[in-house]
Amino acid sequence: MARALAMFTDTSLCIGCRACQVACKQWNELGAEVPEWTGGYQNHTHFTDKTFRLVRFIEAPGAGPSGDLAWLLMSDVCKHCADAGCLNACPTGAIYRTEHGTVNINQDVCNGCRYCVSACPFGVVSFNEQAGTASKCTFCNDRIHNGLGPACAKACPTESIQFGFRDDLVAKAGKRVETLKGMGFKEAQLYGADSKGFLGGLNAFFLLLGKPQTYGLPENPKLPQKNIFVDSLLSVGSALLVGVGALMAFRSRGAGKEE
Amino acid sequence: MPLLQSSHWPFLIDVYFFLGGVAGGAFVIATVAALVNTRAYRDVVRAGYYLALAALIPCPVLLIVDLGVPARFMNMMTTFNPQSPMSMGSWALGVFGVCVALAVLFTILEDLGKAANLSGPRRIVGVVGGAAGFFVAAYPGVLLGATARPLWIDGHALGALFLAVGASTAAAAIALILTVAGRARGDGATAIRRLTVLALLVQGLSLVIFIVAVQGAGSPASDRALALLMSGPFKLTFWVGAVIVGMVAPLLLGLADLRRPSSALGALTAVMVLVGGFLVKYVIMAAGQV
Repeated sequence: MARALAMFTDTSLCIGCRACQVACKQWNELGAEVPEWTGGYQNHTHFTDKTFRLVRFIEAPGAGPSGDLAWLLMSDVCKHCADAGCLNACPTGAIYRTEHGTVNINQDVCNGCRYCVSACPFGVVSFNEQAGTASKCTFCNDRIHNGLGPACAKACPTESIQFGFRDDLVAKAGKRVETLKGMGFKEAQLYGADSKGFLGGLNAFFLLLGKPQTYGLPENPKLPQKNIFVDSLLSVGSALLVGVGALMAFRSRGAGKEE
Repeated sequence: MPLLQSSHWPFLIDVYFFLGGVAGGAFVIATVAALVNTRAYRDVVRAGYYLALAALIPCPVLLIVDLGVPARFMNMMTTFNPQSPMSMGSWALGVFGVCVALAVLFTILEDLGKAANLSGPRRIVGVVGGAAGFFVAAYPGVLLGATARPLWIDGHALGALFLAVGASTAAAAIALILTVAGRARGDGATAIRRLTVLALLVQGLSLVIFIVAVQGAGSPASDRALALLMSGPFKLTFWVGAVIVGMVAPLLLGLADLRRPSSALGALTAVMVLVGGFLVKYVIMAAGQV
């Protein structure tokens, strides 16, 4: 693999303008959706086949600097996990990793089984009813292969979304956390920057101003396929009990008899 | 709370999980019976293999119809991905289908009196198909466990549960077939009844392990998912359908029936096992996808 590319979303710089959300829709020709009344600024409430970038507007009582209300903004996106649940789950090979480390769905191969939708620990992969396939952020695969950054990063007016080589961005992000801590943002932390951390690190990682849970992110997401070994062992145990039981049930009667 | 999405697998898939379990279980039961004593258990062997075929035929149709792009179903057979229970399940289903077809063919040849030297191939098909059949019965549970859904991700015993349900429902279906065919009194029928009781015990044990494991996960999402299943909108289906009708009542009836066999009681037990076996799979799918 070539040097991995990444997106670093620094939520401390986000002003909630949603330029990323709009640029994503325009570049990827994702259709419009009926807005939802959420009681706040956020629209839409979750990722869909037409929303790959989504600015979350989080009102978190008690999470503010002095225990008051925190109003947090976060431009959320597919995390392009190094250990990706969707990619592992895919039974057709439609989901693949690019040479830049990003995760993509080949729309010509996907047959719409929807396994990846439940296998994503972040609720990113969505089902496109019209096309009958799964869809999600492509990391603007067409753009990054032609020397352009992703549309969202390009459109961001505050550099809250930055695009570049992963190692560069991780170093930069580390310094930014220190700066913010020095400014009094005690809970400032990186999410998914550590390639030895959960899911082998995220190729779209974040700087958060509070706990991941505050942002609706799982604190320590687990790769779903980690369960396969134990679940299979228990299944084998069940098979042995039933199989040996069947053998005994049939042997105890008529085993030696010939009709 | 993490914002997760659901695959929204419909009722068709519940039916597939049920039929796949019956087919796998029936094949294994028929094979074990044949390995122990083909002649003495001829009724069980025939009923088991025919049942496996009948239950298996709708399965690929159900799976293909559910796809977003059904014409691309063959894309499952161009990839071999051991990390994906769905991929492995597709392959197991293919192997199992071949074995079921061969086993039924051998049974027909035998009925026609032309199977004098088929015991070798029969045995190979029986063992390979039995392994594939168990796989087909169990893998849906492992598949659900390998998702991020809060009810399933920490359960660990869904594969074990689905396999036991496959065995109990297959045994119950074979018992019903024998009853209808007027062979409810033979040694084969008695063995099937014993097996039903044993499979119900494994089923109950797996369900307990599943619930304890999800409870042990202790995350707000898993607590909420478990509450949905056991005390929320699915509580009636779960407790009455899956637990009482599907396990506790047929276990008690089955034990009574073993002491003093009665075909009416046996048939009632079998119907309850079938209904409850479907409901336990249905309710885990439904509650897990909300």
